[in-house]
Parts: sequence; C-alpha cells; structure tokens
Amino acid sequence: MFSSEIRFIFQLGILIVCTRMGGYWLRRWLRLPGVLGELVVGMLIGPYALGRLPWPLIGPPFPLSATGSPVSPELYAFSTFASIVLLFLSGLETDLSTFLRYSVAGTVVGVSGVALSFFLGAGCAVWFGLAPGWLDPRALFLGAIGTATSVGITARILSERRKMDSPEGVTILAAAVFDDVLGIILLAIVVGMVRTESAGISWRHVLYVAAKAFGFWIGATALGLLCARRFSRFLKHFKSAPAIAALALGFGLLLAGLSEMAGLAMIIGAYIMGLSLSRTDLVQVVQREIEGLHNVLVPVFFATMGMMVNFNQVLPLFKVGLVYSLFAIVSKVGGCGLPALFCGFNHHGAARIGVGMLPRGEVALIVAGIGLTSGAIGQDVFGIAILMTVITTLLGPMLLTGCFENPAPGLRHPEDVAKSQSKVIRLDFATADMAEFVLARIVRSFRQEEFYVYRLSPDAWTYHIRKENMFFILECDGHEIQLSTAAQYETLARLMVAEEMLNLRSMLHMAQDHVDLDSMEHNLVAGLFGEKEDFQP
Amino acid sequence: MSAKKPLTVETISLDLQGATKEAILAEMVDLLVASGHIRDRDAVLKAIVDREKRMSTGMQNGIAIPHGKTDSVDCLVAALGIKRGGVDFEALDGQPSNIFVMTVSPDSRTGPHIQFLAEISRPLNDAAVRAKLLAATTREDVLKLLLG
Repeated sequence: MFSSEIRFIFQLGILIVCTRMGGYWLRRWLRLPGVLGELVVGMLIGPYALGRLPWPLIGPPFPLSATGSPVSPELYAFSTFASIVLLFLSGLETDLSTFLRYSVAGTVVGVSGVALSFFLGAGCAVWFGLAPGWLDPRALFLGAIGTATSVGITARILSERRKMDSPEGVTILAAAVFDDVLGIILLAIVVGMVRTESAGISWRHVLYVAAKAFGFWIGATALGLLCARRFSRFLKHFKSAPAIAALALGFGLLLAGLSEMAGLAMIIGAYIMGLSLSRTDLVQVVQREIEGLHNVLVPVFFATMGMMVNFNQVLPLFKVGLVYSLFAIVSKVGGCGLPALFCGFNHHGAARIGVGMLPRGEVALIVAGIGLTSGAIGQDVFGIAILMTVITTLLGPMLLTGCFENPAPGLRHPEDVAKSQSKVIRLDFATADMAEFVLARIVRSFRQEEFYVYRLSPDAWTYHIRKENMFFILECDGHEIQLSTAAQYETLARLMVAEEMLNLRSMLHMAQDHVDLDSMEHNLVAGLFGEKEDFQP
Repeated sequence: MSAKKPLTVETISLDLQGATKEAILAEMVDLLVASGHIRDRDAVLKAIVDREKRMSTGMQNGIAIPHGKTDSVDCLVAALGIKRGGVDFEALDGQPSNIFVMTVSPDSRTGPHIQFLAEISRPLNDAAVRAKLLAATTREDVLKLLLG
C-alpha cells in the first residue's frame, strides 16, 4: 500500500486532471459554468461513487477514512488553503468604488436579498423538521449558505453581453459586494454560535457573538482600508511582481489564522486582506500573479466539496432539497428584484437584477463545508446545500442571458437612462486583425501611463484598466473597439486614444516611406525553395 | 498623479508675446526652461513641433495643449501661457487660441503624461473657469484656479 503522502499526490493529480477535463468538456458541450463540472467530477470520483472502487495500479483513490471522513486530512488541508486563496481573490476583486457609487440601490437590493434568503433558508430547515428551532445550527447554516451570490458567474455573462456598466450591471455588482460582506458576517456569527453551543444559545448570546463578529469585521476592514495605501507602498519596495503577490497572499494567510484565533472562520481574514488591497493599484498585479495558483487550487476545492456529497444521505431529503432550492431562487429573484422596482428600475430591470443575483457558488460551498467539518450540519443538510448551488448556478446564466435578449431599457424614466450611461468611445476598423492590433497599442499606451491593465479572460478581448479611482473597460469585438469610462475620465480616454491613433498614422507613413517592405519580404523568402543567388528581386 | 505639481508659478505666463504658432511654442518652451529640468531646449522644441506637425493640438474654445516626449527632460514638466487676443493655432474650431497648456515628458520612461494633460485641461471645459483664467491678474491666481 502507499504511504499517505503518495496517496495524497495521486489524489491531487487525479483531481486536477479530472476537474480540468470535466470542466472543459461541460463548458464546451453544454456551455455550463466550469464550477458545475468540477462539482460533478468530485461527486463521481468521490468516496461515495467511483473513488471507493479499486482503480488499476493505485487501488481505491478516494477511500473513506477510518473515521468515516470522506476526504483525507491532507486533501482537506489543501482544500482549506484553496478556499482561503479563493476568498482572498474575492476580496481583491471587490469593486468598492462601484459599490460606493451605486450604494443606495446596491444596499437596498443586497440587504433585502440576504434577509429573505436567510429567512427562507433557515425557515426551510425549521418547517421541514431538519432543525428544532430557528437558533439550531442546521437552521442557521441553511440560512447562511443561501445568502451570498456568486457574482463571478453573473459578471461573466454581463461582460459577454457588454452590460457590465449598465444600470442593472452596476447595481448587481454593488449589491453583490454588500451581499458578500453580509454573508461573511453571518458566517462569522453562525460559526461563533456553533462553537460555543455548549454554553447554550440564547438571544443574548446571539447578540454577543454578532457584536464580536461584527466588531472584528469592522475593525479589521477599517484598519485594512486605512493602511492599504501604506501597505501597498511597502509591498512596492520589493519591485518584482511575484514577490509582491506572494507577500500579499502571505499576509492574507496570517490574517486568516488570526481571524480563526478570534473565533471566526479563516476565510474571513483572507477576504478582509483582499478587500483592503482592492482599493490599491496593486490589484491587477496580485491577481495576475495568483491566477496560476487559483487555476490549480480552485477546481480541487470545488471537486472536494463534490466528493463530500453522500448520495445515500441526500436522496431521502431530495424533495426538501428541491424546496430549499426553490426558496433560494425566490429569495433572490423576489428579494432583490422587488426592491429594485423602488430604485428606479422597471420590471425588465428588476427581473435582470433578481436573476443576476441568483447564482450561489464559492461562498455557499465554503460555508457548507465549514458546517460539515465542524459537525454543525450533517451530510444530509450538506447535500441539500450542494443541490441548491448546482441548481442556482445552472439556472442563473440561462435566465440572465434570456433577460438580456430583450433590449428594452431597464430604467423606468428615459432621462435616467440617458444619465446612467457611461461615456463610450467606439472605433470601427476595416478588419478584426487591425482592431486587435490597435487594441494592443491602446493597452500598451495605458501601461506606459502606469495603469494596471488586466485581461479578464484569455477567451475574450476584454480588459479592465485601473489606476487609483480611475477605471476603464476596453473591449474588442470583431472590427470594433470600445472604451468606456465614467464621465469624469472621458477627457483622458479621448486623449489616450487620439494619441495612439496619431502614432498609428505615423507608423503607417513610416512603413510606407522609409521601410523597403518589398526587399524585406524578398530577402525573407528568397532561398526558401532554391538557391538564394537565383533570386533577383 | 500628485495634483498638478509640475506646474509652478515660474512656468506660467499671463502675457505671451508671440504672434505666430511657432513663436508661441518657442516662448512656452522658454518658460519650461525655467523649471530647471530641461537639458536641451532645442530638442524639446523639436519634439513639440514634430507633434504639432502630425496634428495640431489646438482644440476648441481657445484651448491648445501642445505636448511632446523627449529624453531631454528628466521628468514631466508643464507650462501654462495666456495670449491676449489669441493666435491662429490651426484649432479644431478654426478660432484663435488664447490658453496654452504645454507638457513634455521623458520618452523612455513610463509615467502619467497624458493623464496629467487630461487632469489639467479638464477644468478648462468649464466656460466660467476659462473666463476667470483670462481675467486673472497674478500667476498665483492661475495656479489656484487650476489646482482647485
């Protein structure tokens, strides 16, 4: 038999290969979010399915441990590390400026969605006999699991449809910030309550734990945001991007440990560290450097969560799981959509916002995983949480795409529609090649101005460009380049593009007048299929 | 960008004398020399003139933003000049230009060159600011108006 270290390496290898391939095929064939593929792969190869059967050469790769735990301690530690990196990056990606700009609609939509999700989630546990009362850990966890929207999935659809800076888009992004923060504070409270459960839970105790969690959250976040600039200056001393990113993550891990010591979950500290750095201009540097780590770790985390699903325990509660999922849908579509109607949106806009807030993902899975491993919830409740995550992640993108098919404006008053639009510069070129060439030049000129330019995904020509409070979205779709920004940065955007167009014109003239392209081409191909001397240009 | 630091009282002129575009550019470059960061006056003037040849930086409402890049400067330098009555600067709207903001930055170093230009010229979109600028009697007043 293998030692536990070798088994762990095999497990990791199998997980990385299977999740990457599973995620890829699911995305390619069914156009589903990769996270679903990773979850499903985890379920399939986990100890409750194929993982307990002997595989050629290595035997059962994922056997149940002697204690009955579905994952080995090594794999669990790895997956915990992955969840910390994931939440650190979530914090880093938090767009506080957008949140502050759209804070009124964002707060109303976010709070209402969180409150209804928590109420219906916990209520589901109470009404279906999973928990004896509202303060029971199972009720609290089912409530907390449903609160946080996975904005990554929605953001990708918004970006693909160029709706990121639409009134609905920014409201969703702002609400998701609130929603994440509230979800994490709720988790802190729930974890705190569960850990001291033996002391007996009373409303006074709930208030004490809530105050402690909120205090740690506010204190650490305020300190982080206040010191962010100084901290980023300190990091910049190290000059190299990998060193800066590694240090930032290292401090994130330290804060994660501290938050665990303070009686809260580790991911809270990691999220706060990411959030603190989100207002600095190091965001893109750290994101880019940690992206590789994230790409390897995160699928393993999602698959590990899938592996923990015990089908025997979930099947008897399948109907409750469907009801919980239905509540999770209603709580966001209604809880976020209805208040949007009072924030200037019409029913189109409200539907887009409600549906955009629907997908749950990483935070729901992390909260469920913490509940399971702390013993606060059983495998039955955990399975229900996974089912809800799968259903909402599946439905969210489909419904959101459908909602944006109708081009009708989402705001009630036409004058608001005009005001809400960010300034957009559009350039149309003769060919897609030329547009891509100019796009690369614009990216280069922003970098020369010391902006941080970050490409959203290798599959799309969409860039986020940021420095201090300035933010631009640069996109290329076929022949067209589009640069959008807030009105106050329009002058800069126009000057940047105008200068680049002038540079382009000079380059073309120089190429025509001063470079002998003909002889360059001739010299390059001469002699390829014969003697060079035979060739007379 | 630290708020418009490159612009100082020494690099502001309330009464440019030049009567042609070339004369105004030369006079503005002389203002920049006062900043003490210019190693080669002629190279700076050439960078500015070359940029103007590609396309005039005369905008609308009397504003012109001549700029250029050359390694003859150590850091971003800026000057502001006012020409009473205006001068033909081949502006976009065909009107004479009377407020000039000039910036020059090192060619081989990255930095907020266009950003500075955008920041300093943004208040000039406001007709009231332009009127106050033209009515300013001291260079300190001009600096105060732009620094906000």
